[in-house]
Amino acid sequence: MATDSTLKQLVLGRKDAADLSDTETELPPDLMTVNMGPSHPAMHGTVRIVLTVDGERIVKSDVQPGYLHRCFEKESEYATYTQVFPYTDRLNYVSPMINNVGWAMAVEKLMDLTPLIPKRVEYIRVIVSEMSRMTDHLTCVGASAMELGAFTAFLYFLKAREWLYELLEVVSGARLTHSYVRVGGVAKDLPDGFHDQLTLTLDKIEPVMVEVEGMLSNNKIFRDRMAGVGAMTKEEAIATGCVGPIARACGVDYDVRRDHPYSVYPEVEFDVPLGTTGDCYDRYLVRIVELKQSIRILRQCLQQIPDGPTMVDDHRVALPPKRDTYNTIESMIRHFKHIMDGIRVPPGEAYTFVEGGNGEVGFYIVADGTGRPYKAYCRSPSFVHLSTAGQLIHNHLIADVVPIFGMINMIGGECDK
Amino acid sequence: MTQVPQNPTSAPPGAPSGATPEGMVALTIDGHRVVVPKGTNVLEAARTLGNDISAFCYHPGLEVVAQCRQCLVSIEKNPKLQPSCQQVAAEGMVVHTVDPQSTLARKQQLEFTLLNHPIDCPICDKAGECTLQRLYFDHDNADSRVDVPKVRKDKVVDVGPEIVLDQERCILCSRCIRACDEVAGQHQLEFANRGDHQVLTTAPGEQLDNPYSLNTVDVCPVGALTAKDFRFTMRAWELEATPSVCNGCATGCNIEIHHKHGRAWRLVPRHNPDVNKYWMCDEGRFTYHGLREERLAAATVEGLPAGWDRAMASAAKRLGVFLKDGSQIGVVLSAQHTNEDNFALASLAKQWGVKQVYLAGRPPVPARADGKLRVADVNPNTNGVKAIADALGFTLTPAYELDNNVPPTLRALIILGDVFAGIDAGKLRELDVISIAAHERGPVPHAKVALPAAAWAENAGTITNAQGRVQRMHAAFTPPGNAIAAWEAVVRLAHATGIKLTWTHAREVFKDMTAAVPAWKELTWAREARPLQLRFAGSRG
Repeated sequence: MATDSTLKQLVLGRKDAADLSDTETELPPDLMTVNMGPSHPAMHGTVRIVLTVDGERIVKSDVQPGYLHRCFEKESEYATYTQVFPYTDRLNYVSPMINNVGWAMAVEKLMDLTPLIPKRVEYIRVIVSEMSRMTDHLTCVGASAMELGAFTAFLYFLKAREWLYELLEVVSGARLTHSYVRVGGVAKDLPDGFHDQLTLTLDKIEPVMVEVEGMLSNNKIFRDRMAGVGAMTKEEAIATGCVGPIARACGVDYDVRRDHPYSVYPEVEFDVPLGTTGDCYDRYLVRIVELKQSIRILRQCLQQIPDGPTMVDDHRVALPPKRDTYNTIESMIRHFKHIMDGIRVPPGEAYTFVEGGNGEVGFYIVADGTGRPYKAYCRSPSFVHLSTAGQLIHNHLIADVVPIFGMINMIGGECDK
Repeated sequence: MTQVPQNPTSAPPGAPSGATPEGMVALTIDGHRVVVPKGTNVLEAARTLGNDISAFCYHPGLEVVAQCRQCLVSIEKNPKLQPSCQQVAAEGMVVHTVDPQSTLARKQQLEFTLLNHPIDCPICDKAGECTLQRLYFDHDNADSRVDVPKVRKDKVVDVGPEIVLDQERCILCSRCIRACDEVAGQHQLEFANRGDHQVLTTAPGEQLDNPYSLNTVDVCPVGALTAKDFRFTMRAWELEATPSVCNGCATGCNIEIHHKHGRAWRLVPRHNPDVNKYWMCDEGRFTYHGLREERLAAATVEGLPAGWDRAMASAAKRLGVFLKDGSQIGVVLSAQHTNEDNFALASLAKQWGVKQVYLAGRPPVPARADGKLRVADVNPNTNGVKAIADALGFTLTPAYELDNNVPPTLRALIILGDVFAGIDAGKLRELDVISIAAHERGPVPHAKVALPAAAWAENAGTITNAQGRVQRMHAAFTPPGNAIAAWEAVVRLAHATGIKLTWTHAREVFKDMTAAVPAWKELTWAREARPLQLRFAGSRG
């Protein structure tokens, strides 16, 4: 017959403190290894961290990405250039449009099409890119706040994100995986009334931003959890290859949109926010300011966007109109060849990079003159940022892993490719 | 050598220069010096530079007629554009293929060819491997300027037992007419009428029924001639191609197996200047149907399905009592199987001390022999089996002698293959017959133990044709069910009877085999060919 305490131990696996002996109540002096992830409710994405902890303090960590590896680069070698767009959607799936634009620009560079892209296409690409950047930052900030317990801020930002998703759905037909951009243009023109809808959405988002900022920026708990946590110096950021909001929070004055201007970014005004301390709180602030700058860019684009074609007039990349396809053999053959064999890209190699939600997203393509890439490579910022994670959480408490990971904003699809 | 271009910029740096070797001519194409054998035409010379001058009627295996005018080029000191297929390269000739005049001429010719071409790509079997599609996309790619109705012709013309003609799609290149004349030696196709009413049709009193008729489908640059056997079964770009060798007869025509989802959909000839050039016979093309007929997918013991383990145990038990005396066991090699399969079984027979070795195969069909590709021996590997038997010191007895002359000492028979012509297999019921075969026919239904083997298209190995040429086949897809390569079944049989054969791959069998057969000493095993997706292989034709 078991005693009460042994029964409890058998059923619950623990004893009451009163039942413990003196040696049992002391914390063990040796280090303990615990798993965080791969599926952890307070972590962005699917990533496993093997933590070696001394009490609550992390003394060693092993960050293991790769759970979302989908062979993006290898798959691209077996798809036509156009078929790669859906794959790029699944890289950073919180801001797919930017990946679309990056891939299209790389192929256009190979085909010497870049100067020929119609102005309207460039503006549409900037508009959808900035909307995507907003969805990316709204998700990152909202989710991080939620992981620290601020659920209201999360709901407010996700509400704002949903307005943008709905609008992107109207543009592309899909809420999340848009596949909207094409080599030489975009799939279709902006829908009727888009101008007014976007203006209205931006007008609605601005007060939400004020509300959430009011909830978070000077919130004692939020600041205590974020400020001074996971700080990185400017030199470290450069040495590890950090880009985007993380590098800018450390004071690295670099934004692809301004320093290597592409598309119509030279024609719009915007500021690049910089942090000073490089900690989680600065990363949060940089993202908040970037949200406002995106709204500013969007409003300018809506004013400046010209009318015109949404596809470059080049038979190498533009599908013929359906009317011609069904009625002339020339267009029929061209349509068939574009779909079945893929657009014919001349041999060569090209690298293009755009400012993604997390920083510089680069696509490197080697073409061999056929309809599909000979080799494709993606420079994904999340992967670089994740490589700093082990260093950043070192000597922090286990609880600090959550805001640090939230603000690194690892997107599994992009990190693991 | 005064004709060599004086202008140093006309030859790229590092290009060979100076005296032209004996029997060669040097000419300049688009500023590049190219040296080719005498008699080569300008089109082929340009192709050696990777310059694909568009052409429809030119086929390297057929007579040149310069009919389509699609390969016009400019040649210096010649006032008119010349068809590069007919223009023989001459010493010092200076050719331009990208100058405005000839480029425009070829573009306009393409536009002219497309003038009356029907909008059939979605329903056309050639789509995806169509020369017209490829040349238009690569060399013209311009919009239509036609505002008059197209000339209508007959869509479904039954020109023969194997082929359907669509006269609207025909671009009048005459390749098929020449293929009938030159490959089959029968004039069965003709042009009728003139101008835009010109059509391809059968010659008076003829139909397209020669034994090489399906080569016309291969050479057709568009979908005018389509094979009844293949049309509307599978889109060409969905297929994958694996190089192999036709198993229909002893010629061993080099072929590609076009397959998808583990089954072959058609066989097309592969160029080999020493064996079949660009062609193969119709009968050979249809041999892929047999791959799916009466397949033995699982081992059987006494006619009932069994796993490999039980079949092996049963075979070992039956053979065990006879293994002490080699004269009690007979082995039948097969001219239908690869060198590796036969070598594996012959090696095992050697270790067992077998004296009675037979050769089975289909009986010859003398009516087939036509002095072209078709020969009387309808077994792909007769020469290979003979060479292996010679090398291992066996005397081959024709298998049909078993019909009325079973040696009295014979108690068990190992039979490779499913062909057992001229024998009433029922007479063998007194013997313990063990069959290794891909199909459940011939001796297989009478065997005490039957082991499932891969058919020829599923097998990586070599076969030896009538010339004595050892040719490599690649496995296109995996065999059905529990079937494995026949040599591997032999290895399992050897293990079951306590004999150690260590081969784990066909190339290891091949290595030991080439070491054993003196004539094959120099042969090497080439890398496995990966299936080529036709979708990305570029257009053919």
